[in-house]
Amino acid sequence: MSAKSETEVTHGWGSKKLPQPDTAGAFRAKHAGGLAEGGCRFAMPVHLLGFLLVAPALAIVVLLFVVPLISSITGAFEVGGTVSLGNFTKAFELYSGDMLFTLAIVLLSSALIGLFSIMIGGYLTLGSNPRAVAILRWIYRWPLFIPFIVVGQILRTFLAKNGLMNNIFIELGLMTPLSAMSFLDWRGIVIAFVWKQTPFVALLLSGAMASIDRSTIEAARNLGANRLRILIEIVLPQVRTTLLVGLILSFVTMMSVLSVPLMINAQSPTMITANMAFRINAYRDYGVANALGLISLLMTSAVAWVYLRQTMREHSR
Amino acid sequence: MSAFLEVVNAHVLYGQHEVLKGVNLAVEKGEFVALLGSSGCGKTTLLRSIAGFNPPASGAIRVNGHDVTGLPPDKRGMALVFQSYALWPHMTVDQNIGYGLKLRRMPKAAIEARVAEIKRMLGMDTLGARKPANLSGGQRQRVALGRALAIEPDILLLDEPLSNLDARIRLTVRHEISALQRRLGITAVHVTHDREEAMVMADRIVILNNGEIAQVGTPEDVYNRPASDFVAAFMGAENLVELPAETKGDRVEIAAGPFNSAAVVSSRGRLLSGLSNARFRGESVELSDAQGAVSSVQDEGALRLSGVVEQTSYPGGLWRHVIAVGPRHMIVDSPRSFEIGRRVSIRIPEEALFLFPKQ
Repeated sequence: MSAKSETEVTHGWGSKKLPQPDTAGAFRAKHAGGLAEGGCRFAMPVHLLGFLLVAPALAIVVLLFVVPLISSITGAFEVGGTVSLGNFTKAFELYSGDMLFTLAIVLLSSALIGLFSIMIGGYLTLGSNPRAVAILRWIYRWPLFIPFIVVGQILRTFLAKNGLMNNIFIELGLMTPLSAMSFLDWRGIVIAFVWKQTPFVALLLSGAMASIDRSTIEAARNLGANRLRILIEIVLPQVRTTLLVGLILSFVTMMSVLSVPLMINAQSPTMITANMAFRINAYRDYGVANALGLISLLMTSAVAWVYLRQTMREHSR
Repeated sequence: MSAFLEVVNAHVLYGQHEVLKGVNLAVEKGEFVALLGSSGCGKTTLLRSIAGFNPPASGAIRVNGHDVTGLPPDKRGMALVFQSYALWPHMTVDQNIGYGLKLRRMPKAAIEARVAEIKRMLGMDTLGARKPANLSGGQRQRVALGRALAIEPDILLLDEPLSNLDARIRLTVRHEISALQRRLGITAVHVTHDREEAMVMADRIVILNNGEIAQVGTPEDVYNRPASDFVAAFMGAENLVELPAETKGDRVEIAAGPFNSAAVVSSRGRLLSGLSNARFRGESVELSDAQGAVSSVQDEGALRLSGVVEQTSYPGGLWRHVIAVGPRHMIVDSPRSFEIGRRVSIRIPEEALFLFPKQ
């Protein structure tokens, strides 16, 4: 149900489908060789052959993705064997706060990710100090290779009331031990998401920025635009589709992360992924968990719709 | 009085590679100068140094007596037209042309008026709302020019602006640009690898070779009085024979050889001794039937070569012949065609004969 499995399945579908032309060619060659030349054709119609070739891949997609998806959707509308909206009423009663919390956190994180990745990509593209650019290029990707659970763990020790961050501030005399407070709430989750996802979007974005026509930047400099204006008025408009794609993929990823809210902020309010895990592990309540899953799917679908509409508009132009 | 734009002993490096090896250049106000050279000779680098994108490692660039060597590109009063046009794809024609004015915080109404004026000047009044993707090559080129002219630069820099246009449009745009430049009295530096383009457009031509200036002069100068063997060859005198030549006073004596007559031509200040390169253009010589053997009479004011026609073609106007002169091949044009295999004589008048010491 999560976005992750969705992308994985899509990949699986793609890779299963790819060898198709080769296989078909070999198949046809093998059989055609055995037949008399000319008129006598292989009896099976081509489209049926094609269907047979994709059938294994299709079966995997249907079995592992479509069937479970349908069963959790129908499961969301099922209470004690009858169709009902009971799971949704219960989900909204118990978790409407968490739903808003989730949406707010993920939207805020996306906004910050966008901002920071524009800054990083912009500096990588327009920075004038080659050494600083090289260092940034080398360093900014590190969080990409750290799993979410480890990010949660690192930040838990770093952001806690007696954590490393507060200790540093106290040592530096910027803060008294009494005024130290824990960041292990919504702020911790946002920090974790932004820290982990910014490199991903920055990677996409800096790649796109590097491939725009360099002379469009020079032309703006030639006419007197400073670097900030070049970034906002010349570079960013040319890569906005890439930025949008990166942010949407990040949004969907963050919607599916369970480890970070569990590690950093397990109290209420928390994110609905934590609630889903709780419904299943503590109560074996698949109905409400399914309902929550469907709600999260609706949120990601809304974002995907924005993306599709945007790409349609670009194509129609 | 010093020139309006001066480049003084500019050295430009790309990593370890020295692209410009001490270039000196002076451009007067209102002058149209073409930087001409083959690819890799440093002409674009010189233009980008003037524009401020490739600061020279040593040397200076001065505008109107002020040193601008260390100034950023936008503080130099120059506008550059890029080879790829570098139009901003997300902006309309109007926005592209008006962007430089917007950066100068000009009021909106004034920007609109100026953009309209530029569009009228370039004959593209109706295209203001289009995006660059919906324009033809020639129209894009005009928008790029308009964008540069909108800010009323002191100096207009053109980096091969015509090389992406198809041949027919190129011919008209050439004249449009130079007419516009004269009308506005703007100082222009134009980079090109097209000899004819430089000849037609420029007041003066700067020929660059391997990071150094080979010759500076009016189109007529560089065409008729090339300063070196390289310039002569680059300006189209591709036919080459090696001859023993000796300067005697104000004359050059050429001894008779197996394929050439003895000749005496004016020296034009050239000091030659021993084997020399003699170059000429195929269209500035006379082709005629050979008169028996190579004459022993010394020709005055012309050199005569004898050879055999190997190929003929008709590119239009004149007939083109490939003529074997000993081991070498000459390409010579003539109003009438000579059949293949015929022995012919090529008469090169002294003003069309370029003699340089053999390197």
